[in-house]
Amino acid sequence: MADPNTTKTSSPILIAAAWAIVIIPTAWGLNYTMQNALKLFTSTATPATAQQSPK
Amino acid sequence: MGLAFLDRDRSIAPSGYSRWLVPPAALAIHLSIGQVYAFSVFKNPLLALHGADGSAWNLKEIGYIFSIAIAFLGISAALFGAWLERAGPRRAMFYAAICFGAGFFIASLGASTHSLALIYLGYGVIGGIGLGLGYISPVSTLIKWFPDRPGLATGLAIMGFGGGAMIGGPLASNLMAHFKNAGQPSIPYTMMTMGALYFIFMMFGVFTIRVPQPDWKPAGWVPSTKHAALISTHNVAVTEAWKTPQFWLLWVMLFVNVTAGIGILEQAAPMIQDLFKGKITPVAAVGFVGILSIFNMAGRFLWASVSDFIGRKGTYFTFFVLGAILYFFLPFARQDKINSVPLFVAIAALVISMYGGGFATIPAYLKDLFGGFNVSAIHGRLLTAWSAAGIIGPLIVNGILDHYVENKMPKEDAYPLILHIMCGLLVIGFIANLLVRAVDEKYWLKDQNVVVPAGAAH
Repeated sequence: MADPNTTKTSSPILIAAAWAIVIIPTAWGLNYTMQNALKLFTSTATPATAQQSPK
Repeated sequence: MGLAFLDRDRSIAPSGYSRWLVPPAALAIHLSIGQVYAFSVFKNPLLALHGADGSAWNLKEIGYIFSIAIAFLGISAALFGAWLERAGPRRAMFYAAICFGAGFFIASLGASTHSLALIYLGYGVIGGIGLGLGYISPVSTLIKWFPDRPGLATGLAIMGFGGGAMIGGPLASNLMAHFKNAGQPSIPYTMMTMGALYFIFMMFGVFTIRVPQPDWKPAGWVPSTKHAALISTHNVAVTEAWKTPQFWLLWVMLFVNVTAGIGILEQAAPMIQDLFKGKITPVAAVGFVGILSIFNMAGRFLWASVSDFIGRKGTYFTFFVLGAILYFFLPFARQDKINSVPLFVAIAALVISMYGGGFATIPAYLKDLFGGFNVSAIHGRLLTAWSAAGIIGPLIVNGILDHYVENKMPKEDAYPLILHIMCGLLVIGFIANLLVRAVDEKYWLKDQNVVVPAGAAH
């Protein structure tokens, strides 16, 4: 094993940048999907056509 | 050689290389190839295309594009898994990027010339090979980097495959709208742009991926000396693994879990509209599909991470017990019974989280049983269960629905039957999971002892 005192470790900035490259497009897609998902609760038919008594 | 940088030896991580750089590399691949789940955005535009002679394609012909891609995913994963173990993840990812990107370009040419055969060849066959190579390429590398949390590591990558549709869908829609407004051929230009973008994004994964040094282990991590019942202390070669009953039990488990998930995913939008007639608009149904996508993705990470604590067998036990109960009760939430949309959505979302979780947990289950030596190759062969489920699942769902429609029976009455068949399939998976035992000593690879990871006991 290499000596931990002389080993060059990965920069935290590099790690953060690598994660940002995959998180940014994912967040964009997630936001788009969430906007669509909210339509399930905001876009429903009128109550007159919706109301039916359960059997 | 110009491609020597792809060699396994050239991708060994230097001392001090952070293992947290490896999941983004894997995610870049899986977020890209996960686009396949959003292929449906091309369906209507392709239907509207006409050849020089005025001919047009029908829905069935266009549907084959996705089916061919998924079939070649399973075939290539099974065929190239053993090669991947020798060539290393970087070379496999590189070829995956080339195949996936080239697939778009060839399909673009097919759309330009109105040649369905070229689209089948490009997106289906060549792109499908890219899917299979890309899907399995980071799995064993992640397991080696995270011996303390293999479920979390594979869950992170395979979560990307679930999330890929969330990027690919809107990306394609926006690009097609852009090119259409600019007066350019929207489908060919969109496909070429996506092919180029995905190739570049996947190349980020190619250049970032590293395999750990042979003697590497996480700082401060001490392999457990306690041997859990199912966690192998030895490796099993891929040539032996598929002769074991454990491999085929896991094949059955993945097959039934995927088939059951397809029971909902295949007909999600029409199902909720049929079961809540007049209450759910087509726009709201699209929202339902969006919710399922989010839970499909989240389930992959969450369930696989949970499996590090409750064990793989315990996780699948939960899928098959809770899943069977939920599938049984799901139809009772419909309009003429309990009449609760929130309840229906909540149950369906939980069920789909377990569908995704099944995909993400299986590599760690394989690693527990067969060791990490050939886990990518074994995983590749197991993915044929996915291809089989991709054929059988829609056959069951569409066959029953067609039967009801042809016989003029209410379509909404078909869904309880479909969901209860899926419930029965999960019971078969439950039995298969119960039968899983440690791999017999006769299958062990000689002189290839491995350390035992500090995972949960089974």
